Amino acid sequence: MSESTVRYSPRGRTRAIKSFLCQFLGHGGAQAGLVCLVFFLVLAAAPNTLVGPLQTAINATGDFLVPPSGEHLLGTDEVGRDVLNLVVHGARISLTIALLATVISLVVGTSVGITAGYYGGRVDVWLMRLTDFFFVMPSFVLALVITPVVLEVMGRGGDILGFRPSLFVIIVVIGMTSWAFVARIVRSQTLSLKERTFVDRARVVGSSNIVIMVKHILPNLLPQIAANGALVVAGAIYVETSLSFLGLGDPLQPSWGTLLALAQRAGAASAGAWWDLGAPGVCVLTVSLSFVLIGNALDDTFNPRRRVIP
Amino acid sequence: MPDTADILRLESMQVHFPIQGGLFDRVLGRPAGAVRAVDGIDLNIGRGEIVALVGESGSGKTTVGRVITKLAQPTGGRLLFEGEDMTSVRGSSALRPYRHRVQMIFQDAYQALNPRHTVFDVVAEPLRSLRLVDNASQLADRVSEALAAAGLNPPGDFFARFPHELSGGQRQRVVIAGALAVRPELIVADEPVSMLDVSIRAQILQVLVDLRDKHNMALLFITHDLPLAWSIADRIAVLYLGKLVEIGSADEITFNPRHPYTVALRNATPQIGGNADRGKLPALQGEVPSAARVPRGCRFHPRCPLAFDRCREEEPPAIEVGPQHLSACWRSEC
Ligand SMILES: Nc1ncnc2c1ncn2[C@@H]1O[C@H](COP(=O)(O)OP(=O)(O)OP(=O)(O)O)[C@@H](O)[C@H]1O
Ligand code: SF4
Ligand SMILES: [Mg+2]
Repeated sequence: MSESTVRYSPRGRTRAIKSFLCQFLGHGGAQAGLVCLVFFLVLAAAPNTLVGPLQTAINATGDFLVPPSGEHLLGTDEVGRDVLNLVVHGARISLTIALLATVISLVVGTSVGITAGYYGGRVDVWLMRLTDFFFVMPSFVLALVITPVVLEVMGRGGDILGFRPSLFVIIVVIGMTSWAFVARIVRSQTLSLKERTFVDRARVVGSSNIVIMVKHILPNLLPQIAANGALVVAGAIYVETSLSFLGLGDPLQPSWGTLLALAQRAGAASAGAWWDLGAPGVCVLTVSLSFVLIGNALDDTFNPRRRVIP
Repeated sequence: MPDTADILRLESMQVHFPIQGGLFDRVLGRPAGAVRAVDGIDLNIGRGEIVALVGESGSGKTTVGRVITKLAQPTGGRLLFEGEDMTSVRGSSALRPYRHRVQMIFQDAYQALNPRHTVFDVVAEPLRSLRLVDNASQLADRVSEALAAAGLNPPGDFFARFPHELSGGQRQRVVIAGALAVRPELIVADEPVSMLDVSIRAQILQVLVDLRDKHNMALLFITHDLPLAWSIADRIAVLYLGKLVEIGSADEITFNPRHPYTVALRNATPQIGGNADRGKLPALQGEVPSAARVPRGCRFHPRCPLAFDRCREEEPPAIEVGPQHLSACWRSEC
């Protein structure tokens, strides 16, 4: 690349990103969401240094169901494990599952949505039928169908890409049941974008359909995808929690949902052990709420017209 | 001056858009009609020639341009480029050689630029997609060259700008730079200056005329403005409701129009001496009919002050009224 290109190219983009960040970070909801999120990301990044290795029934450090105290800030559970320790380790599992499921959902949803909207006609009809099928499929039913198959094929032990098979199933199930939402939004945006004159110009200057979809339509979809992606994460955390709560999680890699399930089964509610249920519950609420806040803030930043007049 | 060999020919070109009938029509089996946006046009453009396509809003000018640039598929007729039939060639790779030679400039430059692409991206896109450069430094050179030719100096200052950081005139220059970066032989310019300030118009037109003078590039200049067409074009074709009603040299059409519609158009523009003839023909009355309901016979007859019985029954053919001058009017016969 010639000297001048190198010298001038990055400037415009940097400026655009800067002005976006200024607006985004000025948004109250975004600030609250980001603060919570960073807090939980730190927990998820270094659970061992913060609270020591994951406690099990064997290396549990306390008595059974001790209420919060100086020694156990969030009390202990029914086998004497420190709840703080479990919750911090749970952050890693829950967030990883939610984020990976979201990546699957965004990649599949965006590809299907762009293809359907851009090509239209029969391609659109069939892809949208497929989308509707997944749209109405309950994640729990899908999980029930897939789990035994995967466990049969892979065996209960071992891992798939570093995950215990049941967690892997949860990731895939959430990804498969949430992409339809993304695909619908992306399709409707693509339908209007492809009528824009710049797409005509791209065709006249010889760009192929793939180039038009990737270089012209996709960049204009990114705001929508980002804003809805944050909502997908919130939904994924919620679905993960309910699937685990219903017993599809893995006790050896406990997520917040699994912790809730264990506490529930041990009768924490009737025993009055509010900390045992409350700690993971509050985590789930806080994290999904912060993703919703971030998603809304992104949406407001990208669609200034929708912003409430102060 | 223009070469005699045609670079592009349209033969009975026809573009009808189907009208989606309502549910009621479909149940009753009523045939849904069609918008006859372009309804049988014969037009040729010579090498290095500037032809202006003039017509009111809705007459089908843009649609003709879109057919030539392969953005719209005609429902009838042929599109010949240097004698080669391009009518049914489709797909970006099959069209690559054609795209290399035929480019387009759009009316609304703001709409024609992707808001997320920089000026460099815009001008580099045709060079990349048509595979006209081998390496990045060649690419940068040709982008600079095109921007300079379109009057954006120094080119480097514009590389990293986004469309919203440019003025209207600069945006149109970027679109022009993108079109001429591939060094085409024909450019279709769809009302390239109608959205611009009067002060910038002349400069943009000069860029286009320079292209013809320096590179012998042909230009189809689409406009609704007859004096503007006269000032830039060698020949003028007048379009009314999807059909060419008169075609001839720019001077003939402007100062010796034969078709009542052209006469009315000229009378509506005092700059080119419309006043002198005011007495002869009243100004145009009535609305342009919809292209979905084209009148029978001569399509101009509901508004034509000279209409007579034959006009309501039979459609007039293009009649030669002078050298290279055709008029589709029964009154031109005598
Ligand atoms: N994609 C389409 N579908 C249906 N009808 C169309 C379509 N494109 C154009 N038309 C119709 O075809 C006719 C001609 O349109 P066109 O855009 O070519 O006119 P124009 O001469 O360029 O007008 P203007 O000066 O307003 O740009 C109009 O009646 C228009 O409504
Ligand atoms: S053919 Fe008749 S109606 Fe048509 S323009 Fe000529 S005189 Fe008028
Ligand atoms: Mg138009």
